[in-house]
Amino acid sequence: MEAYVFSNLLVAALVVGGVVLARVVRRDRLWSEAMGELWRRRRGSILVVAAFVSIGLLDSVAWKGGSVVGDDLLASHEARTVVDRIFQGAKESSYSAPLASESFYGGEALADPGGHWLGTDLLGRDVLHRALKGVRVALLIGGLTSAIAIPLALLMGVGAGYFGGRFDDFVFFVMSTLASIPSLLLLIALIMALGRGTWQVCLALGITGWVGLCRVTRGETMKLRELDYVQASLALGVSHARIIVRHILPNLMHLVVITLVLLFSQLVLSEAILAYLGIGVSGSWGEMINQARNELSREPIIWWNISAAAAAMFTLLLAVNYVGDALRDVLDPRTLRETT
Amino acid sequence: MRRSVASVLGACVVAAACSGCGNDPYPDADVRAKVLYSPFLAAHRTLDPAEAYNVSAHQVTGLVYDTLLEYHYLARPYRLIPGLATSVPKAQPLGDGRVRYRFEIRRGIGYGPDPCFEAGGEGRTTRDAHAEDFAYQLMRLADPALKVQVRDPFSRIEGFTAFAQALAAARGADPGFAARPSREQYAAVGGIRGVRVDGDDVMEVTLSEPYPQILYWFAMEFTTPVPWEAVDRYDGKEGRERFADHPVGTGPYRVTVYDKRSRISLVRNPNWYGITQPEAPGAHYPTEGEPGDAAAGLLDPAYVGRPVPFIDRIEMRLDKESIPVFNKFLQGYYDSAGIIKESFDQVIQNDRLSPEMAARGIGLRKAVSPGLFYLGFNMEDEVVGAAGGERARKLRQAMSLAVDSQRWIDIFLNGRGIPAQSPIPPVISGAPEGYRNPYRQVDLARARRLLAEAGYPDGIDPQTGSPLRLSFDTYEVGSGGALDREFFIGEWRKLGIDVDLQVTTYNEFQAKVERLAYQVFFWGWSADYPDPENFLFLLTCDMRRSGVGGPNTSNFCDPDYDRLFSAMETMESGPERDAIIRKMVAIVERERPWIEIYNGVGYSLVHGWLHNVKPFGMSYPMAKYLDIDAESRAEMREAWNRPVVWPVWVLVGVFAVGIVPGIRTFFRERQ
Amino acid sequence: MLAYVIRRLLYGGAVVLGVLGVLFVLFFQVASPDDIARRALGEKARADAIEQWKVNHGYDRPLWPWQDFDDNLFFHHYATMLSFDFGRSDVDDTPIARRIREGAGPSLSLTMPMFVMSLVVTIVLGLFVAFFRETYIDTAGVFLCVLGMSISILLYIIGGQFLIGKLLRWFPISGFDGDPSVIARFIALPVLIGILSNVGSNVRFYRTVFVEETGREYVRTARAKGAGEMRVMMRHVLRNSLIPILTQVVLAIPFLFTGSLLLESFFGIPGLGSLMIDAINQNDFATMRVMVFVLSLLFIGGQIATDLSYALADPRVRLE
Repeated sequence: MEAYVFSNLLVAALVVGGVVLARVVRRDRLWSEAMGELWRRRRGSILVVAAFVSIGLLDSVAWKGGSVVGDDLLASHEARTVVDRIFQGAKESSYSAPLASESFYGGEALADPGGHWLGTDLLGRDVLHRALKGVRVALLIGGLTSAIAIPLALLMGVGAGYFGGRFDDFVFFVMSTLASIPSLLLLIALIMALGRGTWQVCLALGITGWVGLCRVTRGETMKLRELDYVQASLALGVSHARIIVRHILPNLMHLVVITLVLLFSQLVLSEAILAYLGIGVSGSWGEMINQARNELSREPIIWWNISAAAAAMFTLLLAVNYVGDALRDVLDPRTLRETT
Repeated sequence: MRRSVASVLGACVVAAACSGCGNDPYPDADVRAKVLYSPFLAAHRTLDPAEAYNVSAHQVTGLVYDTLLEYHYLARPYRLIPGLATSVPKAQPLGDGRVRYRFEIRRGIGYGPDPCFEAGGEGRTTRDAHAEDFAYQLMRLADPALKVQVRDPFSRIEGFTAFAQALAAARGADPGFAARPSREQYAAVGGIRGVRVDGDDVMEVTLSEPYPQILYWFAMEFTTPVPWEAVDRYDGKEGRERFADHPVGTGPYRVTVYDKRSRISLVRNPNWYGITQPEAPGAHYPTEGEPGDAAAGLLDPAYVGRPVPFIDRIEMRLDKESIPVFNKFLQGYYDSAGIIKESFDQVIQNDRLSPEMAARGIGLRKAVSPGLFYLGFNMEDEVVGAAGGERARKLRQAMSLAVDSQRWIDIFLNGRGIPAQSPIPPVISGAPEGYRNPYRQVDLARARRLLAEAGYPDGIDPQTGSPLRLSFDTYEVGSGGALDREFFIGEWRKLGIDVDLQVTTYNEFQAKVERLAYQVFFWGWSADYPDPENFLFLLTCDMRRSGVGGPNTSNFCDPDYDRLFSAMETMESGPERDAIIRKMVAIVERERPWIEIYNGVGYSLVHGWLHNVKPFGMSYPMAKYLDIDAESRAEMREAWNRPVVWPVWVLVGVFAVGIVPGIRTFFRERQ
Repeated sequence: MLAYVIRRLLYGGAVVLGVLGVLFVLFFQVASPDDIARRALGEKARADAIEQWKVNHGYDRPLWPWQDFDDNLFFHHYATMLSFDFGRSDVDDTPIARRIREGAGPSLSLTMPMFVMSLVVTIVLGLFVAFFRETYIDTAGVFLCVLGMSISILLYIIGGQFLIGKLLRWFPISGFDGDPSVIARFIALPVLIGILSNVGSNVRFYRTVFVEETGREYVRTARAKGAGEMRVMMRHVLRNSLIPILTQVVLAIPFLFTGSLLLESFFGIPGLGSLMIDAINQNDFATMRVMVFVLSLLFIGGQIATDLSYALADPRVRLE
């Protein structure tokens, strides 16, 4: 199956999954109250995040064929996304300022005068287009890494906290070992071992990122296990699996959600540093910043490349952090603890 | 309480803004000293003259190690003059195909002071170099234990390879042998047959076949005299430095500080032969040059014929990022700099120096570099190489017609280059004059036709039904990413060909090369010496990378080409040789193992206080001919670098205005 | 107490062994000794030269103990690392231990001031914002903190160099000179940028901690007894927040390291971070292994020290 077909299916699955999740949350009184409170406090930031997610989804739906503008014979054979098709204007030859009608150096007429809202970069590519494509990459980094890190952290953390004993010792030892290696170095070593590529970077980020959540879930699970109703269930002979799924996991969800949101910005920032070292994910904002790094020193100054990437990254992360901050207050366990 | 806090804060701010402020990176004592400041990009791997083979290391080795022959600083085309030798030797054919060169060496060549010479007596810090030291270095070049990258030209010396094999055999047979000092080992094996030392001042080098270019190699640091005392003492064991980090040579300067991760310092060598023999050609400023040099101020009577060097000390600083280097140049903290593309328009306007730069007394120097950058095809690949036959040739020709070098040069080099037409840079005498390669003029229509004839209509590979896919390997990715490679990929998209850029590490690329798993790559070559042979040899069968490991990375192998090469290799320059070269260029034009991209033009900026700069094109230790007006430099630096302090006060003001009302309301509420 | 100390140290030792194991798998599975040899010897290296190089650097052994129990890289790796016999660089043969000694000075001259001043500045700012909680200073402060956390350190460095080095000319754009009379102007800018880049997350954290503390019973008692707000903050809140502060400080040390890695690279400071980046770019695995090991040792040491200080402060910890 080709990559773009897979990605289309994944988007469909995510949308369906999102709808299902929304229904589940609405039915649960405590969660829906918490979400309502969050909406009241952080309306702006949530809308910003939603906008970015929509752009990311739009950039994940692709198909081949269709019309092509300009000299590029190859484009009609490649899978292009909705976002790509919106920005179909012909490529320029090199830099041009935002909304300009002539090129930055040399003053030649552009192929698409006034059409590049944020100008073009060194190779003549539309900067707004590239910045928008970076959204999908950032979401992918955050999403895929979390999809690796969170199940791993839950598995190890709940297992260690619940079963204790040897397994707990083992998990604690693994956590201590991984936490003792400076994470940037571990990241670099892992990527050199696994090779460059999107899923390798996400896997490496996941391996270095699961420890924090694991520590917290382990602690929480240990506390939860001592609760009355859990002890009662054990005495009644309910299976471990059932107890974990019915009592422990739901009470950890708030931690998972908070971690998911706050980890996201850390991951995107880490990837930017990896891009500086040449081992990031291609198409990310970090890569744009790295490539445009020296442009601020040009005279006259070329500011639109690095500003677009920096602004996009900054806006998304600020919104996510701001939401995450409020989320932490709203999902305070004192208001969410189940008593069933 | 509140008042004292505020005053402490205020004091801190003022202190931070003033003390230790100011951006001069050099000690105050040096403000008016005759010191040359230049940056270096990365810690040098080695300064051992047998192993060092890059421009950066040459900045140091060129000044510390002297050679038998040198290039005349000002003369063009390049001309060899005697350095440590008393004259440039002529080839003496010996009748049986061998050729001999007799080097007569000066006396009074003193090594820079170094404790290693105590081996010859307590308290001794130097001695004179003699013929034996030159021979010793030639033997080091053959020594398999050293990582010498230029054995090929020297292997034409009679007995060179035999010596290396005998040495390896003796070491293999007896482990104790390898532990002995290198000089003893070489003597035990009998030295190189073609290198004969006669007394202290004569060395005769016999080649097993004619090779006129060998003289150029005697102008390079590979053939400098090396003291065995230094090699023995600086072996890297028991806390001693390695010889690669501790140069001891006969050059005009010597190294006093070698902190290779931050700073290198060179001072005059008090024992340099030029001090006692200023009439030697390499010891004084040239008395004549090219037409135009006088007008350019390079034959100033204050300098002509005077003993060199004029500068007392050279300070080098590690500076990896190009923009800080350039900015420090603008601030006067480096004396000369190349132009980076980010600042090109600030510096050059209408192909001349901008008024802003000229007002600061900065001068512009241009020189065409004898180098070539090209896209290469792996000729052993089935799709793009010779194995693909006529079809593959048309593919290569089509791809060659699609690449617009001029536009690439404009974007990535600000136009500082010439679109290359042939394997030989036009500045090398012997290059075909006025030659324009028909496959290097952009013609998309013709390219598409050729592609269709090759069996890939509109770039579609009939076997797969989708666009032809090729791989482009690169392992040197600069600070801006691989954007310059992506430009080429964009050009080929216009033909409908899908070229996939693969960025690998050096190791992975090597592994791919071994497996012949590469198709397109981007490479360059800089002349070692100004002869067409130094470029044409890159396409000979003997130099193939796959299998043999040579620099012919495209693995081009054409028997006609090789035949012509053997003919012109040892020929003297002239019309006959030029004709042969033209035929070779025609073969390359047709077969397209390379798509020639550009020959670089070096633009360098020089401050007004630095005198006698003439860009050389190849790496050259010109510091010994330069001079600095230290007073003028000190004045300019001060004028250009006054710190801007007003923003501090603005910040403090904003902070105060923002916070004070809040504080007041808070306390009022609490009351 | 002694039993706890011993247990903690032994556990630390076990973690060290674990770290060495991870390093071994990562570095020797990543690049085979052949790759490293070829890289070091250059393009035209012949097979026998590669073999010789491997012998010289001790890479000619088999990897795992089950291949050859007496002489294998696995045990050799453990033995040399634990005895601090760091060997030579893969790239240019200089002794790694010497490079570390040379690099430690510049790195410390950067990280020590950064660490200390960062601590002081963020605690003071945290107290300041907590002092004025619920006012516009607080909201603005929290917003600024989240803002600060959302900007990549790369942008801080690039922007800082541009603004302060180039436009305002307060400090040299890059470079380093260890001479005590001039060192201040070289580290001023990187220290400043380093502090700015982590002030956001640290102040946010400290503010939360301080605000929580001020909600406690004993603070209300103190206020009821008539103590001024300033005195309450300084005397009581700060002192009782020491444990969370200490935790945060220890947790922040890894970021200190990451920051210094990038700062040293951009500012041309020849410290350990710069050494690490060079090793990465040159694929110098020997140096990378040693650096990661040394830094991990420091982390483990730091964690042990923190745990021991908790144990001293809080007797309940010793019984765990």
